[in-house]
Amino acid sequence: MAEYTVYANALEQCRLADELGFDFVWAVEHHFLEEYSHCSAPEVFLTAVAAQTKRIRVGHGAVVCVPEMNHPIRIAERAAALDLISGGRLEFGTARSSTWTELGGFGADPDHTKKSWDEFVRVIPKMWTQDCVEWQGHSFTMPERDVIPKPLQQPHPPMWVTVTSPGTELDAAERGLGSLGVAAVSYDEQERRTTDYHRVIKNCEPVGAVVNDRVHTMNFMYCHEDYRVASRVGLPMVATFNTLNAHLYWTREAHATDAYPSLGNLGQSLRLAANADDPSAAKGLPEGLGIGDPDHLVAVIRRWEAIGVDGINFVLNAGEVVSQEDVLGSLRLFASEVIPKFRSRESAASRVDAPTTLPEGIDPC
Amino acid sequence: MLTGTADLSSLVARLAPPTIPAWDHEPVELRGVDCLQLVAELRRPAREVTLPRGLHPTEPPALIIQAWKVDESVWGPFSICFTRLSCRSGVRARGFTTACVSDNDVAGDQLATRWGFPNREGGVRLRTHYDACELEVTVDGRPILTIAGIDPQALSTGSLQYTASLNLAETPNGLRLVQVEAAHDAERVQRVGGRITSFDAASWGDNRLEPYHVVATTLARDRTVRLAPIRFACLPEISAFEGTEVIETNRGNHE
Repeated sequence: MAEYTVYANALEQCRLADELGFDFVWAVEHHFLEEYSHCSAPEVFLTAVAAQTKRIRVGHGAVVCVPEMNHPIRIAERAAALDLISGGRLEFGTARSSTWTELGGFGADPDHTKKSWDEFVRVIPKMWTQDCVEWQGHSFTMPERDVIPKPLQQPHPPMWVTVTSPGTELDAAERGLGSLGVAAVSYDEQERRTTDYHRVIKNCEPVGAVVNDRVHTMNFMYCHEDYRVASRVGLPMVATFNTLNAHLYWTREAHATDAYPSLGNLGQSLRLAANADDPSAAKGLPEGLGIGDPDHLVAVIRRWEAIGVDGINFVLNAGEVVSQEDVLGSLRLFASEVIPKFRSRESAASRVDAPTTLPEGIDPC
Repeated sequence: MLTGTADLSSLVARLAPPTIPAWDHEPVELRGVDCLQLVAELRRPAREVTLPRGLHPTEPPALIIQAWKVDESVWGPFSICFTRLSCRSGVRARGFTTACVSDNDVAGDQLATRWGFPNREGGVRLRTHYDACELEVTVDGRPILTIAGIDPQALSTGSLQYTASLNLAETPNGLRLVQVEAAHDAERVQRVGGRITSFDAASWGDNRLEPYHVVATTLARDRTVRLAPIRFACLPEISAFEGTEVIETNRGNHE
């Protein structure tokens, strides 16, 4: 399918999601991935989303904090501009890429991406909140400058980090960042990660001027009145995504490094068996999948909510295997039958989570 | 979805797959193994045309060159070098073996008839030093591969993860891709600055193979490398989801 059509479909989905009351739309950043995710300029896409919507929050899920791909000053500038254009709706996710396809394409050293990520998440909030920033670091150096514009949200947009490998949720918590899960995990594993996250974030040293203590997970969603139709339409989408995801050339496979402990996005339960098991075994469907009729989805989401997940980011399509008509129909049904089961328990005024304030005794950066 | 496009009969003619006359049930342990692995990106034209239809290429396509210098084995000491194409079998990361050379005809014959390595006899010299390493592979006295690695830097032993091999072989089940699972117990892993100083593509399975951009080179010292009996065999022209056969007699025979 032509990329123009894919982008047009995605924008239509965002406009509808905004009208229906969904809370977030997230855009990834990937480069050179032929079969999977032609979203290499998310700041452009999200700006279009912001211009065409009114209330839905627009999320970088996430900006790659690798200097060969994105200079931190340009990240801060673009994000602030997007926050202004969106009227203060930006959610700022950070990441460091995990495929050799991308890192190798930019000539980036996998050994350094964790360091550059940690540097970027400390310096970018300073660029947003200080009139004069000077920096001498591992990844870059800058003399005193005022990075402009400043974001609309005060003190700055909520910050997140994508969580794939076990342990990254602790990196998030230690820094006061939201945990943006981008790999499917089991209920038990997510509960463990969420519990550890909330335990650690209580004593965090925040990198920004505000702590974001939310946990989001990734899931798939196809909602249909008939469970069997939902399975028939939705499960191929999951299988397509999982297969294309598995075909990526992961950094650890190509470039021996301590910096990437996981071979791909395989769920925790499958990671240990990735190399030495039955190759015919399709990647197991993640627990708590958002595929089914409305009652099933309500039950699934309630289970995730019960273990502390604050939000679920749903993948709606992969390889365009679900027709646009079906995607939009699924969104409408979900909005009419599922969202009210959760939204009715909150006040309309606080429908979208706002960043929490800085803990007492912590000075802003 | 990208898949291999190689014509199977052409592949067979080029790779000369060995025959595995019977499924073996015994593992083999190799002791004191220096293992050199160099991963290099291949030019794009080689991506799909070098793989059978049951496998999927990675993007970018990559050649994995591995050499083992084995101090002790039931076949005596030996050295072996084999090349593999990075690929996927279903959702699993694998390497499709295109060629193999060993300097011990007994070891080579066993690796061919029990694990499907497309072995040829030749010279394999892997030399390691504190500051460098070199690999030279010859067939009929002619160099077909030379690699130089310099400035070893220590890594943790957990940083290195090898993918299983898929070897095209005639088996009791017919022509199959047999999955070779080698468990490496590393006591030391180093990254070295590697470069390929000569490479005869035709000798390594396909004259379209052009490894032009080295990704990473590692040198490991393994206490043991354990070759498990074959547990899975895949039809080469069908997706692994449908075309994988379990070798029942070896189902639980792992580790």
